[in-house]
Amino acid sequence: MNWRNETVFVTGATGFIGGRVCERMMQAGVPKLRALVHGMHRAARIARMPVELCPGDLLDRESLRRALGEAKVVIHCGLGPANSIVRGTENVLAVAHAAGVKRFIHVSTAAIYGITPPPGSETEDAPLGRTGDAYCDNKAAAEKVVLDYGKRGVPVVILRPSIVWGPYSAWSTRLMDDLRAGRVVFLEGGNGACNTTYVDNLIDAMILGLENDRALNQAFFITDGERVSWGDFIRAHMALLEPPPEVKEISRAEIEASRGRSSGLLLGSMQATARVARSKEFRQMLMEIPLTEAAMKKAWNWISSLPPEKRERLRARLGVRRAAPKSTKGKFIPDAVTEATQSTTVFFSIEKARKMLGYEPCVRFADGMKLVEQWLRYAAYL
Amino acid sequence: MTEPIRLAILGCGAITRSEHIPAVSAHPGVHLVALVDTDLPRANALIQNRGLSCKAVADYRELLGQVDAVINALPNHLHVSSNMDCLRAGVHVLCEKPLAITAADARSCAEFAEDNKLVLAVGMNRRFAASHPLFKLIIEEGLLGSIQDYDFQYGGAFDWRSASGFYFDRAKAGGGALVDFGVHMLDSVIDWFGPVSTLDYQDDDWGSGIEANLFLDLKHAGHEAAIGTQPSAVSKDTPGHLRISRTFTLKNRILVRGTVASAEISVQDPEVVVIHRALGGVPVSETLRLENFPGGSSYWRQLDNFVQSIANRGKPEVDGWQAVRVLELIESCYAHKRRIAEPWAESGAESGTKSRTVTGPATVTANSGAHK
Repeated sequence: MNWRNETVFVTGATGFIGGRVCERMMQAGVPKLRALVHGMHRAARIARMPVELCPGDLLDRESLRRALGEAKVVIHCGLGPANSIVRGTENVLAVAHAAGVKRFIHVSTAAIYGITPPPGSETEDAPLGRTGDAYCDNKAAAEKVVLDYGKRGVPVVILRPSIVWGPYSAWSTRLMDDLRAGRVVFLEGGNGACNTTYVDNLIDAMILGLENDRALNQAFFITDGERVSWGDFIRAHMALLEPPPEVKEISRAEIEASRGRSSGLLLGSMQATARVARSKEFRQMLMEIPLTEAAMKKAWNWISSLPPEKRERLRARLGVRRAAPKSTKGKFIPDAVTEATQSTTVFFSIEKARKMLGYEPCVRFADGMKLVEQWLRYAAYL
Repeated sequence: MTEPIRLAILGCGAITRSEHIPAVSAHPGVHLVALVDTDLPRANALIQNRGLSCKAVADYRELLGQVDAVINALPNHLHVSSNMDCLRAGVHVLCEKPLAITAADARSCAEFAEDNKLVLAVGMNRRFAASHPLFKLIIEEGLLGSIQDYDFQYGGAFDWRSASGFYFDRAKAGGGALVDFGVHMLDSVIDWFGPVSTLDYQDDDWGSGIEANLFLDLKHAGHEAAIGTQPSAVSKDTPGHLRISRTFTLKNRILVRGTVASAEISVQDPEVVVIHRALGGVPVSETLRLENFPGGSSYWRQLDNFVQSIANRGKPEVDGWQAVRVLELIESCYAHKRRIAEPWAESGAESGTKSRTVTGPATVTANSGAHK
């Protein structure tokens, strides 16, 4: 469809992704841009453009109807609190349906597979299960609602970016703050998969989703298509600081030991991991038997992805003892979400987006990092 | 003082709630007659909530003849008409900044007040922080030696929960961050370093006229030294750099570098000035504060100055003409503006071969010193 002549409605417009969507839509020369604004005081970035700032709330359908106005293209970046993600998305879909919109781009997330997605979730056809995390599970449920409306005739496209980064992203600003404060560690050598998605790459995919009818009713992983690890991501930011901060390595076992909690990760040693890897549960999950290093890693990650109560049940069944508490030697202990995020081993595949959308990430990680550096200087972070 | 001044506050928005009501309630020379707001329930709720004994009125014109003075805290675009209505009725006005959207409108207010011997004070509350007069003394007394330059930064994530949200509407606000925070900063630097002779202005306005970020490099003409006195510490063409942001946290301070020492005022503690210098090659700092400076908030002191000016028929600390001077400078900035280069915003090419429409000069490089 020719979206460039349409009024575009953006939800989540005061956020990092939505803000950049507004900029890109202005640059693309859309005749009118309507932005849903929940907190007007947060709109300084988009208020510098001739954008219609439409006060409204994802949970107030009438306000959404007014905000949508005559728009025929919806880009839904809005979120709201985790427990109202589904309702908010449904509300936007309902008013979009009633208004007969020509395209609805739904910004989902690869995290529907969990903060630590299990092995096997590299492609979009991997089955979804409950992850136990409110954000992940609600985003997954929201996708179902989107597809539902797709069946009812709303032309929907679902994008599943992962770690969306770039100028204005908290991934970079928080990391800079944390590096300065000594709150960063390389978890397990920093080998976790980062799945970076440069914000402009994501918006390129949105634009392709607007233009390409083959994208309808489909969900696509969108990343930079590079195997950037968390170590790479952290080191790229460390290099911006003078003098470079010291970042220590930490193992999951050390974190576990320092927490000394009963419902944490199961494993304190590779021996225990092997026990899990040999377990019936894990084999059923993997459908593979050889006890290779790769399998051990998968076992480790599988356990990491389990909700605490499941982990505890498994531990009890296998009779695995937790590692004895060890000194963390003054290392910073990351919080559980950071730990889980950086424990990812899955690199999401963008082959489907390549084939069906014609998506090709234009901004490479190194180039994106240069732009982030320029922006961090501008934003007084450097 | 004999009778307390009968006063009304126009507008029940954020600044009235947070500053003007506490200041008025604490001032013995003022009798609050009414709160005015077109949203009458809001005014009534505020009266009840704060336990005030005044009345709520929807239209300030009903009050003309019943009050001696008003604090005008209406949205920016309503300042001029309401100021003029009040002044014409012989009512003294303390108007929130900016006095008007245009310098011409501000001028007509200032002229009318002067011709009719009424007090028109402008809400530059920062002038009433102890650091303002102290800083002036420090410069004048040559404590810093001769002034080399200054760097003035003010910025943070915009979080002003205005009741009307007028600040993102160009016609109502008159501009963005420059009009909002900039009036205070420009008012201060003009008062300290004299009129501005040249300026170089850049902002990040992408077409709405509501900039969120700006860089302003300017030069001051210095103060005219009276014949026979010591030459001023502020020489002609003293340069200054201002940076304002509604999106990024900046250093939030002014740092003035002199040949002998530097002086710093932090937004966090506007009551003191910190002097940085070297002692035997070792950097040291000392904090200066005015002794016997009156207590209360800067808004209370501002109100007190307004009340004293009315009683003595004197000039307020910040009168309409000073506001005109700042607004003229702001108009000059907007008239000569260039766009801040944002290479990260210009570079995300769409997939495939399509070219993107990128407007505005991308070649302008902001003064690197202002980025620090």
